[in-house]
Amino acid sequence: MQYRSYIMLILLCFSYTSCEDLVEVDIPDHKIVSETVFSNNETANSAVLGIYNELSRSAFSSGFVNSITVLAGLSSDNLRSTVSSANRVDFEENEILIQNSNNLGIWSSAYYIVYMCNAVLDGLNTYTGVSETMKQKLIGEVIFVRAFTYFQLVNLYGDLPLILSSDYRNNANRSRNPIDEIYDQIEEDLLRAIELLDTNYENGERLRPNKFTAMALLARVYLYLEDWEKAENWSGQVINGTEHFGILNDLNAVFLANSREAIWQISPKGRGEIGSHTREGNVFILLTNTGNVALSEDLFAAFPDNDLRIQNWIGIYDTENERYYYPFKYKIKNAIGDATEYSMVLRLAEQYLIRAEARTEQGKLPGAIADLDIIRQRSGLEPIAILDPNIAQDELLEAIMKERRRELFTEWGHRWLDLKRTEKATETLGPIKPLWQSTDVNYPIPEEEIRKNPNMTQNQGY
Amino acid sequence: MKNNPEYRDILSLCLLFICFFIPPPYFAHFPHGHGFKSFFNLDTQQQYQLSGTVTDSYGPMPGVHVLIKGTNTGTFTDPNGGYSLLVNNKDILVFSYLGYHSRELPVLGRTTLDVEMQSEVTELQEVEVNAGYYTVKERERTGSISRVTAKEIELQPVVNPLQALQGRMPGVEIIQPSGVSGLAASIRIRGRNSLRFEGDYPLFIVDGVPVNSSPISSINPFASSSGIDPLNTLNLSNIQSIEVLKDADATAIYGSRGANGVVLISTKKGTGNKGKASLDAKFYSGLHSVSNRMQLLNTAEYIGVRTEAFENDGITPTETRAPDLVLWDQNRNTDWQDVLLGGTSTISDLNMSVSGGNDNTTYVLGGSYHKEGTVFPGDSGYKKISANFNLNHSSTDRKFHINFSTNYGVDNNKLFFGTNYVHSALTLPPNAPELYNSEGGLNWENGTWTNPLATLYAPQTIQTDNILSNLSISYELLLGLRFKANLGYSNLNSEDKTRNLMDSYDPDTWDRVTLTSYHSFTKRKSWILEPQLTYNRGFKKLNLDVLGGITIQNNQNSKLSMEGSGYSDDSVVGNLEAADEVRVSNNENISYKYAAIFGRLGINWDRKYFLNLTGRRDGSSKFGPGKRFANFWAIGGAWIFAGQRALKNSPSFLSFGKIRSSYGTTGSDQIPDYGYMDTYEPTLGPGGLYPTQLYNPDYSWEINKKLEASIQLGFFKDRVNVDLSWYRNRSSNQLVGYPLPSITGFTSVQANLPALIENTGWELALSTLNFQAKNFSWRTSLNLTFPSNKLLKFDNLDLSPYRFTYKIGEPLDVAFLYKYSGIDPTNGRYSITDVNEDGRYDFEDQTVIRNMGRKYYGGIQNTINIKKFNLSFFMEYVKQDSYLSDLTITPGRFGNNTTQVLDPWRQEGDNPKVQKLSQSITSFLAYNRVLNSDLFVGDASFLRLRTLSLSYQLPNRILSHIKVNTCTLFAHAQNLFTITNFKGLDPQGGKVVPPLRTITCGIQLKL
Repeated sequence: MQYRSYIMLILLCFSYTSCEDLVEVDIPDHKIVSETVFSNNETANSAVLGIYNELSRSAFSSGFVNSITVLAGLSSDNLRSTVSSANRVDFEENEILIQNSNNLGIWSSAYYIVYMCNAVLDGLNTYTGVSETMKQKLIGEVIFVRAFTYFQLVNLYGDLPLILSSDYRNNANRSRNPIDEIYDQIEEDLLRAIELLDTNYENGERLRPNKFTAMALLARVYLYLEDWEKAENWSGQVINGTEHFGILNDLNAVFLANSREAIWQISPKGRGEIGSHTREGNVFILLTNTGNVALSEDLFAAFPDNDLRIQNWIGIYDTENERYYYPFKYKIKNAIGDATEYSMVLRLAEQYLIRAEARTEQGKLPGAIADLDIIRQRSGLEPIAILDPNIAQDELLEAIMKERRRELFTEWGHRWLDLKRTEKATETLGPIKPLWQSTDVNYPIPEEEIRKNPNMTQNQGY
Repeated sequence: MKNNPEYRDILSLCLLFICFFIPPPYFAHFPHGHGFKSFFNLDTQQQYQLSGTVTDSYGPMPGVHVLIKGTNTGTFTDPNGGYSLLVNNKDILVFSYLGYHSRELPVLGRTTLDVEMQSEVTELQEVEVNAGYYTVKERERTGSISRVTAKEIELQPVVNPLQALQGRMPGVEIIQPSGVSGLAASIRIRGRNSLRFEGDYPLFIVDGVPVNSSPISSINPFASSSGIDPLNTLNLSNIQSIEVLKDADATAIYGSRGANGVVLISTKKGTGNKGKASLDAKFYSGLHSVSNRMQLLNTAEYIGVRTEAFENDGITPTETRAPDLVLWDQNRNTDWQDVLLGGTSTISDLNMSVSGGNDNTTYVLGGSYHKEGTVFPGDSGYKKISANFNLNHSSTDRKFHINFSTNYGVDNNKLFFGTNYVHSALTLPPNAPELYNSEGGLNWENGTWTNPLATLYAPQTIQTDNILSNLSISYELLLGLRFKANLGYSNLNSEDKTRNLMDSYDPDTWDRVTLTSYHSFTKRKSWILEPQLTYNRGFKKLNLDVLGGITIQNNQNSKLSMEGSGYSDDSVVGNLEAADEVRVSNNENISYKYAAIFGRLGINWDRKYFLNLTGRRDGSSKFGPGKRFANFWAIGGAWIFAGQRALKNSPSFLSFGKIRSSYGTTGSDQIPDYGYMDTYEPTLGPGGLYPTQLYNPDYSWEINKKLEASIQLGFFKDRVNVDLSWYRNRSSNQLVGYPLPSITGFTSVQANLPALIENTGWELALSTLNFQAKNFSWRTSLNLTFPSNKLLKFDNLDLSPYRFTYKIGEPLDVAFLYKYSGIDPTNGRYSITDVNEDGRYDFEDQTVIRNMGRKYYGGIQNTINIKKFNLSFFMEYVKQDSYLSDLTITPGRFGNNTTQVLDPWRQEGDNPKVQKLSQSITSFLAYNRVLNSDLFVGDASFLRLRTLSLSYQLPNRILSHIKVNTCTLFAHAQNLFTITNFKGLDPQGGKVVPPLRTITCGIQLKL
């Protein structure tokens, strides 16, 4: 009977395939397995581009209301809240609860970037196929980004688990390493990055770190470590990179995409949204309402009347009852299409201020004054060299700190970190913040991290 | 009123007893007549006397109508079931009796013609129930299977088959998310088995083809939480029956996919009609409107409340704070519920099918059209067109059999994006401005409000087409041994398009507006191949049913979401080519493969003792290599201790008795695909890749162990049937995200947790024939479920992301609430208890635990036949707690509220339910906290008249003139009333579009 032969045929077909094969699926085309990612130059490069894209939307680095720029600004004396959101006001009052979701956001988003970097390193080490030149460049970039992220974390939280691989089985129960060890790793990574990276910016875009970027961060690291000589040396090398960098006379051009002052920027296009404005511009600029945050009166008062930064970097929004000053470094609140402004991470003005400070600490006052005056003159202020050429060392240091505050406000919480590293936090914030305690210099370790990890300890004062 | 079902149940039981203890004479039991001898009388012209007795399985039947076909000549049987008639040799006699199947018998020269009538009641036990891979007689089944047939479904003017099942099956909880058509209803069979909300879908099988029933996600504000149901495209009128498999015995043969139960949908098959084709046509049309509304303030009351609020706060109303008091007309009064939800729209449905065939081949070819309007303003609505075809062929020797069926449906759901009208209808101030300005355009009142009609300029269409085909071939190789192969194919395409047009924005902002459109495309394609061998043999009293088979299944799902922006004007919005920028926000292609071997051994002894063994070995691509396969099995047994054969030995009132029990395991793989892979995906930003997850190659199947015991009894010659079941399902090895500290880069990794969830419950199904007489019968069927759900074990729950959602020892549907401590006499605001006295209100203070799941639920159906009239009504009852929506917003703030705010706290000593009227932030915060307290949680039980239908069958003497076989006129009402203490719009959803009240009239014809 012919039916029977059909049936036998069907049964025969089945006997040729094994069970495993029947449930084996191919990798879908919207996913790529790590092995493929790290076996050719293009996809490995994409994995690193993904890190920069992530930085543009990641909580700690986005410039949004929950980023270090805003929250550390609130913790210092630069910003104030204009709306009562408990999770932000906690930062402003230096009364951060261990359950604070913004605090958890900084912590976890930064560690996600660390994970992305480690995953790239592990991938490049495990699989083969990426060319040696590409490998060097990518490794250089990701260890730089990892060092940058750890630099932010260690300055906000103190001791940290130092995670250098992507395997959760090894990392889930890690305890905290002392600050020294974190800095040792940052230093090691940056020195290696300087070795691996070259001096050019890819396609003229200042979005991928190069040798100078690593030097610039290293200069800041040595400044924080009070290794003045090295800080002077590395910032000097960046300042000497005049083929790339220069201080712009037009204050309104500083934060444009790929400005000559930029050492490293993050593109808002990385968010993958239609909007192409920076988050900083969107959060800070007040047009129709009082937004979320504004500059503190205290900061506004720190500017002399003739400071050009008042007109160029500070905006005014008036309501019936109140005047609001807002950061106006970024000019665009909303935009679509090509991005004309990028988020600034590292810029040349800071390098001058680093060198000025490092020189002052070493007693090289004329050089320090020259560096400081570059910033002052650009802002329309009289140079110290004319005003007070024989300024004392401690006065010069104080002038530099004031200049840092005026120059670097609402950029990555510089003011908060400066107050901490110079141990002026209690002295400065104590009188103006009613709930201030000296232990507030460190943010708390998020409660969830302690609950999930038996080896995690809390900072003092929480 | 809330105890109505129980009360009704007792009442009907009492009536039953009265019926049986005072039996009318025609129930008397007489021996069957045996006068049948047949002789051929060749003289066809001669009229002669024919006599006989009509009986059913219990004895003679009086009052049976005996008619000579095609004439008006006829008679009724006497109290002894006897009749006599003057007949012709060629005549055909038609025997009919309400509640029994009519029989047509040719005279053929016989002088005695005894007839046994088949009752629809006793037939209940003889019904073949679909158990998926096999069928089983209702009386002989060992598993727990509930069944609903075409009769209960086909007249309901709803879009989705699940909606038609609400309340009709014990143990099956179906919640319609709102009155908006096309949204996915949620279904849970015997409670929640998984910690993941998306892990509780049962397996849906339409004509042997498994259907991916997970809702299609949509950005529509009505659909965003529930999604669009992919089963919408099925034609309700073409459904023959829906069976729900619940216990291990019934579901283990579906192995891994049976953990949450199985829903089998069978479509209609053709009936052989001696080569003649018959046409079935059904048309209905009607109106629907929203079934409930809230008591809101009118303008005078509203202005009073707002003014008092400002006075309480000591603040003068300003233009920005109170446009309603300062800028807007103080006398205008609009009932926004009327304007935005108050529409009455039409619904119409046309369904036609042709069926026919002969002994070997039958076919059905059908089509339907369904259209309904909207209760909202604008021209949104829902349309569905479907077509179906079924072909069935058997060889003359019955060895070869082939069946092909295909169902195709297209639907088009027109909605709008943006504002949810329910919220607007409840909170727009009654003196809000006119909708239109003098030029006929939308009135924006100088930017002081958002015109609710603006949202109509953001139209959204969701269009889905779906084809489901099945081919099954079988051949009998040897006596009792049959080879069978099922081949199924399904293909669903859905396109969701939203266009944001210029008029949806305030003209003052037009210079800043970027016109955008959102698009999403969903494709789901699957095929399944299931070759099987079956063997049925009887050896004296031993009967054997053996089944073995293989399943190979392959699913391809893809989703593409895009956003277009920068269109130059309205006319090109939605045409991506005209967009300045097109951004892809999501593009995924998922492939799922599944393979299994399954088998069944059914043994029974003398059709009295039954043993059913089922098993399945499953492999799924959702797990990593080495973890893909698992075994599932079940054992079920039944003993019929009282049946028709055993009747002599059993108490006379007990006509049927069976106990059954089953135990077994099923599994679940309802987790995202590819979780075990170490993968990267493209970032939203250009050119980048990101690592998607921590990967764990080691996780495997969730296991669900099911235990069930049941007793089925029939009393009084099966006029009362009771099925009482107890079940206990324990689901372990829960697939969840295992919590990790963020220093690992992620907060969790997909893993099996030794969490244990237990569902236990009692299910009762009762059907009674309360009364039966010549021209009158009354039946009742009732189902009742007492579910209980508990999280028994969860290691490190307080470290997991589930710690605010679940608690050990409590049900999964649990709410953690603040303890309400009354209105603070010092400031008149709501206050709650700061339990840990840390000066803050957070989750640690949410110590009141309330079960938000159903406590018990059921349905009761009554069917009354009086002559040619049929009246049936179905009520659903649910006992539950829910968030009561006594207020719409903080009392005193901008926006309308319920009339309850007319009695607020005013001074110390007052004890109302509403805090001091105020528009301050502190009052707003106090109100928001109390929303999460036990103050607003309370009894939201309801009794709803789901369906009421009345039909009339036109008498034969009229029909024979117009050559119509049957003609039925019907009127049907859906959701006519709901009795509840709940103050909001719908006790099942709170502030959602309540279920629509629909009234339709129609006609059904068979030619």
